[in-house]
Amino acid sequence: MLGIVVVTLSLALLSLYVRSAKVLGIANACGYIVVFALALLLAATGGRYRVPDFFYADGLSVFFVFTVALVSLVTAFYSSGYIRHAVEEGSISAGKAALYYVLFNLFCCAMFLTVMVKNLGLMWVAIEMTTLVSAFLVGFYNTKQAIEAAWKYVIICSVGIILALFGIIIFYSTVANHAGLKNLDWPDIVDVAKTLNPNVVRIAFLFILVGFGTKAGIAPMHTWLPDAHSQAVSPISALLSGVLLKTSLYAILRFSIITNMCVGERFTSHLFILFGLISLVVSAGFILVQKNLKRLLAYSSIEHIGIIVFGLGIAGPWALYGAFLHILGHAAIKPVMFFGAASVLKKYKTENMHIIRGIVTSLPFTGIVLTLGVFALGGMPPFSLFMSEIYIVVAGFMSGSYVATAVYVACIVAAFCSLTYHFGKILFGKKPVSMEAESESFLAKAAFIMLLTFAFVIGIAAPGACRDLILKAIQVVAG
Amino acid sequence: MTYFMVVAKRLAGLISSFRLQSFFLFLLTLMMAIEEKGAVLYIVAGLIFIVKVYLIPMFLRHVAKRIKTNENLGLFINPQLSLFAALGLTYLSYLFTFKVFPLADKVQSASFALSLCVTLVGLFIMIFRMKALTQIIGLMVMENGLFLSAAAVSRGMPFLVEIAIFLDVLVSVIILGVFVYRINALFTHIDVSKLKHLKG
Repeated sequence: MLGIVVVTLSLALLSLYVRSAKVLGIANACGYIVVFALALLLAATGGRYRVPDFFYADGLSVFFVFTVALVSLVTAFYSSGYIRHAVEEGSISAGKAALYYVLFNLFCCAMFLTVMVKNLGLMWVAIEMTTLVSAFLVGFYNTKQAIEAAWKYVIICSVGIILALFGIIIFYSTVANHAGLKNLDWPDIVDVAKTLNPNVVRIAFLFILVGFGTKAGIAPMHTWLPDAHSQAVSPISALLSGVLLKTSLYAILRFSIITNMCVGERFTSHLFILFGLISLVVSAGFILVQKNLKRLLAYSSIEHIGIIVFGLGIAGPWALYGAFLHILGHAAIKPVMFFGAASVLKKYKTENMHIIRGIVTSLPFTGIVLTLGVFALGGMPPFSLFMSEIYIVVAGFMSGSYVATAVYVACIVAAFCSLTYHFGKILFGKKPVSMEAESESFLAKAAFIMLLTFAFVIGIAAPGACRDLILKAIQVVAG
Repeated sequence: MTYFMVVAKRLAGLISSFRLQSFFLFLLTLMMAIEEKGAVLYIVAGLIFIVKVYLIPMFLRHVAKRIKTNENLGLFINPQLSLFAALGLTYLSYLFTFKVFPLADKVQSASFALSLCVTLVGLFIMIFRMKALTQIIGLMVMENGLFLSAAAVSRGMPFLVEIAIFLDVLVSVIILGVFVYRINALFTHIDVSKLKHLKG
């Protein structure tokens, strides 16, 4: 675990000194191969994780480390081509490209820390760091829209996260007063969970859910999300949507586990179902009427967060398995879509979906990838999102929450229809006459193919190692 | 003190009252430190003094001077009404503390209610004032309220966490300040109520 932090930080340092975007891109990609390998190693060591005292590793954190490592790896791949191209084109300077890599690495490092630290207070700090670092990446292009989005992002998330801190303070008050514990280390708190004051824990959890929920993009606290996702540098949009939202979800999960131990499962599960459904309904509506390609994808992220939260709320082994599989599947597919959208944007110079036409003919490779991606994103078999959505539906009906599950299904169907409608229009049709066909860089292709294959494979079979990862995480959540 | 902020119309006034509020927070922590004789609390009190009483107000003033903002804050709600709202928030936080949140000690619950009130007023400032800088100050006021509540309910957070939060606050103010520069450079004003490009 220490290794991961060291690699990301040293890459950030490297980016301070090297000025060539090409070299940096390749170094970055190599670095993240190492990080990914370390994450795999961590996952492969089985149940006995031996880590330094500052860190903590159980099934849950290892699962999230793996997810973050996967998405940051492909993003590093894609960034190398994307940034080099931007520098050659002259849209950003070489110095700015180096800055991009510094921020990129700090951002990833903060996300890794979030899911690895032992102390819940420091977890809060790490999440706040992700906001602060990524705010610069959202406002990277320094246009009016980008700065507005960054400001909105940083202010809304800071307020949200301050509410979460308030929750943690209240939480700590019961930990200190009723359990006599003088720290916020996770394993210690789990040991004393039963002695905490239930009322205080309930109030604290409400604040924490709303606070971290803001960062996780749960509606109705999602208002920063479409702006930030649509204005950020495209590879960063993939990171924001693919994993950043889920690291906050991780924080919520940690506290919900303790809350469950203390006050029983009904409390958190009702809250999760409620917020999950609100997110689904809101996002399904906005997806339907959306005109802007990247905003469409951002709203689809809210939809998927809604699905995951709903699944966590239904609880029970099936729904939890579905929710975690969904986290993994969404983390694999969303980058594909954002990378594809980035290439489209570069080619067409617009995000307006009424103007973009005929991607399949103008960008053959990207077109095909996007076609597959949109079906995967909407939840078509054989991709994994289909499987996870079905698991949650089945679990929902089995647990007897018929109305909630019916709303859930309706929203998914609506979102699927509008996604395919929008993408059908922009993918096919006639391309503009003056446009020539173009292909992707090698590393970008590798990233695309890797992700789609991954989503496909965990969709049809969920190979042993992957299933292990999820099951271990569920064990932690189920207590 | 918090009430001063609600009625403050000018930026300089707001910053000074923030400084004074932080100073009271510092005094409180210092008193606790003397009472408990813990070295940790002394360090925390020192940090509050350096960061919140000295560095942050100075930085904010510097930013305000550099961008030569119009002193007027641009109020959505006039001072009188704001004061009433703040009183209402205070009442609410007392109600919340005594009805919902069980604390054994009378003094403890009173100071918790106070801290909740400070936090809420910080939020109020963020929502009902138009300038970007005032939003930063609102955020800092909320943060002050949180520190007070942490001191009230559990004699402060664990040391490591407290230090980390301090660094975080400092960094976030600086980053927000940078963004204020950028907003000012691009839009030639820092009136966030006019930031309306992104919708839907």
